[in-house]
Amino acid sequence: MKTLRRNMLAIPIIVWIGLLVGTPLIFVFVLSFLSRDNLGNIVVAFTLDNYKRIFDPIYIRVFFNSFLLATLTGLVTLLIGYPVAYITSGLNPKRRAVSIALIMLPFWLSSLLRTYGWIILLGNTGIINNILVGLNIIEKPLNMMYKFGTTLVGTAYMLIPFMIIAIFNSVDKLDRSYLEASYDLGAGRLKTFFNITIPLTLPGIFGGFTLVFIPALGLFFISDLLGGGKTIFLGNLINTQVTKGRNRPLGAAFSILMIVLVLVVLFIYSRAAKREEGGLFQ
Amino acid sequence: MSKRNSVVLIVVSVLLVAFLVSCGKSSQPQEINLMTWGGDFVPREIINEFEAETGIKVNYKEMQSNEDMQSVLEANPGQYDLAVVTDYMVDILRQNGILEKFDKSKMPNFKNINPVYQNNYYDETNEYSIPYAVSTSFLLVNPGAIEELGAKPITGYKDMWQEELKDNIVVIDWSVEIIGLVLKSLGYEYNETDPKKVQEAKEKLFELKDHIMRFETNTPEDSLISGEAVVGFMYSNQAVKGQAEDERLQPVFPEEGMPIYIDSFVMSKDAPNKDGSYQLLNFLMDPEISARISELTKFTNANKEAEKYLSDEFKNNIMLNIPDEIIENTSFYIDVADVLEEYEHIYSEFKMQ
Repeated sequence: MKTLRRNMLAIPIIVWIGLLVGTPLIFVFVLSFLSRDNLGNIVVAFTLDNYKRIFDPIYIRVFFNSFLLATLTGLVTLLIGYPVAYITSGLNPKRRAVSIALIMLPFWLSSLLRTYGWIILLGNTGIINNILVGLNIIEKPLNMMYKFGTTLVGTAYMLIPFMIIAIFNSVDKLDRSYLEASYDLGAGRLKTFFNITIPLTLPGIFGGFTLVFIPALGLFFISDLLGGGKTIFLGNLINTQVTKGRNRPLGAAFSILMIVLVLVVLFIYSRAAKREEGGLFQ
Repeated sequence: MSKRNSVVLIVVSVLLVAFLVSCGKSSQPQEINLMTWGGDFVPREIINEFEAETGIKVNYKEMQSNEDMQSVLEANPGQYDLAVVTDYMVDILRQNGILEKFDKSKMPNFKNINPVYQNNYYDETNEYSIPYAVSTSFLLVNPGAIEELGAKPITGYKDMWQEELKDNIVVIDWSVEIIGLVLKSLGYEYNETDPKKVQEAKEKLFELKDHIMRFETNTPEDSLISGEAVVGFMYSNQAVKGQAEDERLQPVFPEEGMPIYIDSFVMSKDAPNKDGSYQLLNFLMDPEISARISELTKFTNANKEAEKYLSDEFKNNIMLNIPDEIIENTSFYIDVADVLEEYEHIYSEFKMQ
């Protein structure tokens, strides 16, 4: 009885989540098995066509393209984020607070606006090119925009705070006496780092990777703006199908595919986290 | 403790329901709910004047796409009175039975609308739509830069395949437009369904891939202004903006013909304030008001009587006042879902090339 009363407080949140997350999900799932008529209206007639269609070789390539972008984003943010998190956790409390605040600061601005910032920076008549040409270092502006790499820079920039914070939490919890023990036993800094620090902060690395990988699959506007729309990712595909393509059932099938992909990643993560005992969601 | 909790719970639930109900409630009698494109498409200053004159409040909702407007209109027909949608969407909405037939006696100014823009395929007798803004898409080029690259001057789509223009073209990012452009360059029509012709267009499209430096739907003109592209395929209002900022840029109306779009007012069948809506529509079709709208939005005016109030600058701009013989060579994108799917697939393959 007591637990029931205590749990009553959870009812609003369960109803809330059920209504606002659960219902649309069920809706998308059901939609993915329906068809649409010539005008783009949904027709209630069960079909597996949408699923057959998404396994078209072209769409599989789009799928791998997204997977590649998300994985590379995870790696790039890890390589840059780890040192930042490591150094931040070693700072004195006051500086550390400032550092964390600076990492979180970009979230206060619209992500679209920040993406346009990159165009101003990297464009042919952008700041970097203007400076380089002005200093006579290069003759013609460097072509830095509208490439796969530009999209990668954009997504990595957008998501790196998640990586830094996840690793920071892990590094912060690290028991420094292990490091001292390692030094006492004669291991150098590098050896200690790779044999002690990295393994002990693996949960943070996995967590950060998951937090970066999942949203990287869906940030279609970055590839539109920075990638010049030259390649497509799952997010673009879904976006076109549910809007101008007027094929919402197909869009829904792609969304389900993306959800499955995310679940696989989460599953791998939870296995890894369990092995390492401790993780982001525990 | 538990009693207090349940009281809190009940109060919160009641407030939540009250909040949701108030959100769902549609307009007051003297309000008009209008939805359309952003970017001051129906200029705020004109709406302010209408509000001051009639005391009717106009709620303006900016939408991202025709499909978004369709969803809202169909999900809740009593919520919005008016919408401005593009030609093909008039056809869809009308067939889905959610549009009100206009009572033209309630808007005497309808007589001002240019017959050239009436009675099109999507509304053969103009019962459901009022043409508001006319636009086209064509090429905006930088002739000097094209010469510097050693390419011939551009007269039509076919010139976009020149080797010299590699990595120098910016285009609108939409399968139907781009495949339509390729079909036209081959001498076919838009929305072609013949598999052989579509296959031919596909192959030609793939050859264009290296020439395109950027796909951009919202501000393609920027790439020409900054010099990163020398040829752009874009909407007329974007080309007008581009030339206004950079005099070197010149429009080219492709000799193969070009697409035309007519954005039109439509009224929901269950519009809560039909009388007010007629008042607003009549106000917007007043020749002087209509001329001012065109000056502000940079769209070709569908109002014949408005011409005499247009500035010389507007009238002399060939992109806004396109000669009749060029308008005769324009056509609509007729949106058929089957074609769309095939085009979308080709377009994906093209981009993943």
